[in-house]
Amino acid sequence: MAVVTEYYLLLSAAVFCIGLYGILTRESALLFLMSVELMLNAANINFVAFSFYWGNLTGQVFSLFTMALAAAEVAVGIGIILVLYRNFEGIDVTEAATMRW
Amino acid sequence: MAGVYDFVPAIAALPFLAFLVSLFFGRYMPKRGAEAGVIATAGSLGLSTWTALTVAGFTGPATSYNANLYTWVQGVGDGALTLSLGVLVDPLAALMLLIVSLISFLVHVFSLGYMNDEGETGLPRYYAGLGLFTASMLAFVFSNNLLMAFMFFELVGLCSYLLIGFWFRDDGPPSAAKKAFLVTRFGDYFFLVGVVGVFATFGTGLFAPITDGGTVVAESFPQVAEHALGGEASVETFGLETGTWFTVLGLLVLGGVIGKSAQFPLHTWLPDAMEGPTPVSALIHAATMVAAGVYLVARMYGFYLLSPQALAVIALVGGFTALFAATMGVVKQELKQVLAYSTISQYGYMMLALGAGGYTAAVFHLTTHAVFKALLFLGAGSVIIAMHHEENMWTMGGLKDRMPVTYYTFLSGSLALAGIVPFAGFWSKDEVLFEALVHGLGTLETEASMVGTLLLVGYAMGLLAVFFTAFYTFRMVFLTFHGDARTDAARDATENRWNVTFPLAVLGIGAATVGFINMVPVAELTGAEIEFLHDWLAHGGIDATTTETYSELLHDVAGIEAAELGALGPGAVSLALALAGVGTAWTLYNVPDPVEQTDKLGGLKTLLVHNYYQDEYQVWLAQGVTVPLARAADRFDQGVVDGVVNGISSVSLFTGSRFRRIQSGLVTNYAALMTLSLVLLLIVFVLAGEVMG
Repeated sequence: MAVVTEYYLLLSAAVFCIGLYGILTRESALLFLMSVELMLNAANINFVAFSFYWGNLTGQVFSLFTMALAAAEVAVGIGIILVLYRNFEGIDVTEAATMRW
Repeated sequence: MAGVYDFVPAIAALPFLAFLVSLFFGRYMPKRGAEAGVIATAGSLGLSTWTALTVAGFTGPATSYNANLYTWVQGVGDGALTLSLGVLVDPLAALMLLIVSLISFLVHVFSLGYMNDEGETGLPRYYAGLGLFTASMLAFVFSNNLLMAFMFFELVGLCSYLLIGFWFRDDGPPSAAKKAFLVTRFGDYFFLVGVVGVFATFGTGLFAPITDGGTVVAESFPQVAEHALGGEASVETFGLETGTWFTVLGLLVLGGVIGKSAQFPLHTWLPDAMEGPTPVSALIHAATMVAAGVYLVARMYGFYLLSPQALAVIALVGGFTALFAATMGVVKQELKQVLAYSTISQYGYMMLALGAGGYTAAVFHLTTHAVFKALLFLGAGSVIIAMHHEENMWTMGGLKDRMPVTYYTFLSGSLALAGIVPFAGFWSKDEVLFEALVHGLGTLETEASMVGTLLLVGYAMGLLAVFFTAFYTFRMVFLTFHGDARTDAARDATENRWNVTFPLAVLGIGAATVGFINMVPVAELTGAEIEFLHDWLAHGGIDATTTETYSELLHDVAGIEAAELGALGPGAVSLALALAGVGTAWTLYNVPDPVEQTDKLGGLKTLLVHNYYQDEYQVWLAQGVTVPLARAADRFDQGVVDGVVNGISSVSLFTGSRFRRIQSGLVTNYAALMTLSLVLLLIVFVLAGEVMG
């Protein structure tokens, strides 16, 4: 007996909100990256859930792509964090606020 | 085989070459560039003579020539215009080429005496200007389409500016040059609109159709217009009735003519243009610039004939100008000023003739006037040299004995100008008036009686002007050459060298004899076939530009009829008036010590001396109307148009400077903003969905 789709959506929404909360409150760049991952995966859950609901594989394939994208994003993000560390002796995103008007 | 027509472009190219040579190498030449000009114009004269002889049929059958030589804009697709430069040589063009190159040649020779011998500086510039002037005028004459004619028309105007302002260090000439340029430009503005209108309407600016082996390959715009009036072709008339639109087009082009030919009300530049060197005055006012206007009307006469209204306007403007300018000439004190007003007046006669359907008469007067007016100007130049650049006639007197060649040639020109038989001016002026009279009388009885009335009004004014013309001409002669010398300069005056007297002699003989090419009254009296000019203009390889075609059009389309009238009566009337004018001048001024009789005119004299306040009212028009108007436009532009643009930009700048504050540089803030915006957007969508649903 399969789980009802609404539960998946609730799960996904919860994961997304946790990620969003992390982005809005944390100051460490690494936690930022992790929060973004959470939000991406919330989207993935939605993809898979709807794919399952409609009996259509497209959403699952999309979630595979999203995972690959997330891996690439993490690579770039870690690179940025390394440079941030070198320049500011820390990874606090509130320190690096000079790139503005 | 290379015929003479292949060399026609060279008629204009030679003086152009002289222009380049004088400009760049003139300073190294012993005569400062005059050599190039004299040789080039002599070459042009030779080629023009050859062309004229070929057109006349002396070197084989009589021919004409019309061809596009160079296409500089190739139209692609339907309704596209193709713009070309081409050559049209028919009897009219050949005659005009001959006149222009002859006068230019003589003026170049005369300049040796007037400019070189007087030790003027800046001569290369002078001869360059003269060369370019001659070249543009000659090219204008053989233009085969309206746009090319317009281009060279403008070049002529530019050269007049350069030459009138030759003595640019004095006060007068630069301002006179500017005035000449601006006033003629004002007329040319209408001409330009007319040119565009002609191209937009007919898709071609050709004066005469181009034929190839008997078939027409390119139609001319007067022909298309004729077909359109006859209902055989349709043209774009921009919502007007076909005939009305053609009248509008004709009057637009006429704007340029009125400016260049110094007709009322755009005549004011010409008397001021006397500030230029005298040979330039001779060239501008005898054969080139001023003649260009009249020549243009003659060139596209087939078009004007389609619109009797335009013809009536031409005749009226011409007749009025003839009288108006003649009255002003009566009170002038300076030799060249008298000649200036006589020029305006004489061109008025030509316009009168053209408007009255007297095409041959107009061309005839154009020819004779070119000769005798060039003569009078050069004669005046000779007097001015002898008087050490003093132009006031009241300082002269008694030059008759000391300058015999100048006197007798000047007298010949004066008799021609006054219209005394048998000098050139008599025959041509008589024919002009005769044509105006017969066509006026003839048309009076037809449906177009309004046109007939206008022609008769023009005739009356022209006839009255004969008296004034004779009077001021001989007032000038008597004051200058007769009586006692009134100053030391006049007592010590001597005759000039060959380079002054040779052109005078050539033109003096011309002024006495040119009229014999078309002695209509004599032909009528004796029945002899001596109306050479009539025959000359009536034949020709291009039917569309012969007087035969024109007289048909005049009768059929314009509805202007000729009354049955002998040429002798009207001729006698105008001769009597001319003699009366000479007689009046004789009694008043041919005395040892003439006095200023003009004082007897009282208030009229003030009016005439001030040229009917024409300059004043035009200056008022410029300063009182145009300047405030321009200022208002400027204010609108600066205030409203620029204000809106500037306002928009400052509003953007202000909002931008406020909005950039949200760029805090903190990633968290951006994320928060994005989240809030998304939520807001979702709420809006939900609400909108509810409203729509």
